[in-house]
Amino acid sequence: MTRAVDLGVIACEGCELVMQAPRDVDGRCPRCGETVRSRNPRGASRTWALLIAAAALYVPANMLTMMHTEQFPLRRSDTILSGIEFLWSEGSWELAMLVFVASICVPLVKLLALGLLLVTSHRGSTWRPRARTKLYRVLEVIGHWSMLDVFVVTLLTAVVQLGRFASVEPGPAVLPFAGVVVLTMLASASFDPRTIWDGAA
Amino acid sequence: MSELGDLPVPEVRRHKRGRPSAVWIVPILAIVAGGGLAIRTYLRAGPTIHITFDTADGLEAGKRDVRYKNVPVGKVDSVELTDDNQHIVATVKLDRGAASLAASDSKFWVERPRVGIGGVTGLSTLISGAYIGVDVGASTDTAKEFTGLEKPPGVTRDEHGRRFQLVTSDAGSLAVRSPVYLHRQQVGSISELELAPDGHGIAIEVFIDDPYAKDVTDRTVFWNASGLDVTLDATGLRLETQSLATVVAGGIAFGLRDPAEPGALAAENTKFTLFEDRGHALARPDTEQIKVGMRFHQPLRGVGVGTVIDLEGIRIGGITEVKPGYDETKHEFFTDLVGIAYPERLGDAYKTLTAEGVKLGKTGPQMLQGLVGRGLRAQIRSGNLITGQIFIALVWEPNAPVVKVDDSDQLWAIPTEKGGTDQIQDEVASIVAKIDRIPFDAIGNDVHDTTRAATALLGHLDRDIVPDAKQLFARADAAMDALRAGLAALRDNVAMPDSALQQSARTALEQVERTAFSLRSLADYLQHHPESIVRGRAGGPAPKGTP
Repeated sequence: MTRAVDLGVIACEGCELVMQAPRDVDGRCPRCGETVRSRNPRGASRTWALLIAAAALYVPANMLTMMHTEQFPLRRSDTILSGIEFLWSEGSWELAMLVFVASICVPLVKLLALGLLLVTSHRGSTWRPRARTKLYRVLEVIGHWSMLDVFVVTLLTAVVQLGRFASVEPGPAVLPFAGVVVLTMLASASFDPRTIWDGAA
Repeated sequence: MSELGDLPVPEVRRHKRGRPSAVWIVPILAIVAGGGLAIRTYLRAGPTIHITFDTADGLEAGKRDVRYKNVPVGKVDSVELTDDNQHIVATVKLDRGAASLAASDSKFWVERPRVGIGGVTGLSTLISGAYIGVDVGASTDTAKEFTGLEKPPGVTRDEHGRRFQLVTSDAGSLAVRSPVYLHRQQVGSISELELAPDGHGIAIEVFIDDPYAKDVTDRTVFWNASGLDVTLDATGLRLETQSLATVVAGGIAFGLRDPAEPGALAAENTKFTLFEDRGHALARPDTEQIKVGMRFHQPLRGVGVGTVIDLEGIRIGGITEVKPGYDETKHEFFTDLVGIAYPERLGDAYKTLTAEGVKLGKTGPQMLQGLVGRGLRAQIRSGNLITGQIFIALVWEPNAPVVKVDDSDQLWAIPTEKGGTDQIQDEVASIVAKIDRIPFDAIGNDVHDTTRAATALLGHLDRDIVPDAKQLFARADAAMDALRAGLAALRDNVAMPDSALQQSARTALEQVERTAFSLRSLADYLQHHPESIVRGRAGGPAPKGTP
């Protein structure tokens, strides 16, 4: 299969102007001024940077308290995991599963999958590029779902404020957790899926 | 399709190469921030300690329920049985800032609602649930293992005041937290109460709040103000109480024997004796003691340890021992009483006596011999007939024979005299004898005879007089009837309006009236015509008189 690059042409992503381009062209479209690159030379490193940042924040996001709840006369401080454990022990296992998938699995899967994509692309791997592209698309779609936890906490904080009888307050884990989600989304956005296919040529 | 050469060429952009991308700031920031958060959380976790309790009642793992001054300072991580299943061990994670609470002499207890006679504590835990309370120790050493108290300590370390040690043989109803009173105001409480280490007596630690702690001096006396101090002795019934609370909950009071001599401020943890009551506490300490012995040849019912020895109305001592004995030569029982006398209670009298003794060069027993020579005797007396209290009175019996005072065995033997209850018994016996001599039989016979005579008299009345009386009454009845008939006839003749007498009387009266009228007309006529007496009536009309 022939790629545009192989033919020595490139299309502007803004106005579809077809230009002649050598390999690793990096310039502007003469018509609309959009950046024209055959590959983003810094895309990979940016993705790495964001990914490492997200991984770094993943640790405190899971270790620290996500939510302080006071439900008279009990007072609880839950991390994400202890909250899931509590839901499970209370019998709401479907809710526990949902939170587990959205808040623990999805961010972890995103981190690992992006890492895998980056490594394989960097090494010019020819291993199942189509499957890897599909994985990337899935990442893009499910990315923002892991914000569920943050949404729940912010919503409860705003709604449940009944003084001593019941109140919810966000814990210190909310910020790093939101950071993980945002950073993984940015990382997957800055990943150039075309690099998946570079090795396949 | 155009040739490749016809296609436009992108404008080449200049890039500053060779410098790492600014995007790497993001992970650095993330690592610093995330790591910082994680490290801070890790550091905030303070020491983990283990507290042993008898029961886990109210404790719950996972709750942030270790509190100092009601501020949560840690969390109960787990509650487990000890290996021997006798206690429970609560593993507590203290907060970082509360690490100093794990001082080796800190005290831990479980705060639960407690209802005692002295009041209700921990009421808030009814709603919030039990929690582990801490009283921080002063030690700078920290410990990992603690034994929890089953009750909250009486006084926590953060209260200002001073501690004093009291020793007593009987704590009565006193307990930890029992109040301490000064002038009937509560100024402190009992912080600890336990058997003395040697088992003799009870060691009590009291905590006096500032600023009252300065009222405790080396001359202060403490006494047990518990309950009702009911004293029933030769002086009668006496009742004392400190406050209503002490009646049920017990309490300690303190004060000065002599307010004029306040003494020097007592150091913390000074040891004091806890007297059994106010009277004992405020009494002057008896420094000089004389052991006295008395032998009685009479039953000593009511005499026991503590029976008062009285001289001239002053309680100079008490009996400490009662020893029954048997005289082999006389073949009779006797009772030896041993007592302690405090001669200083006689005040100036004792001073004068000792001065005299010194002047004459006589010893104490010799002085006593002098007194005995003048008739000093011990006698059993009844102090209170109603309560039956007995006391030993030292009385003067001028006619008593002189007896030698025996002062062997450090014991001054005082001769005794029969008396007191025995006298009363004798008197009662004589009264009984007199009552006995009353001829109840003869009196009974007399009463019997009198009754019989009275019966005969009544029989005579019944038999002879009553029939006559009956006839008399019948006749009187008949006479009454006749009288009644006569009266009726009289009424018919006189009182009725149409009776004959009435008719004739009325006619007569009318005639009299008419006569009077005629007389008045005549008088009027004669007044106007006096000449008519002589000449007779003229031919004029007849004179008209006013009726």
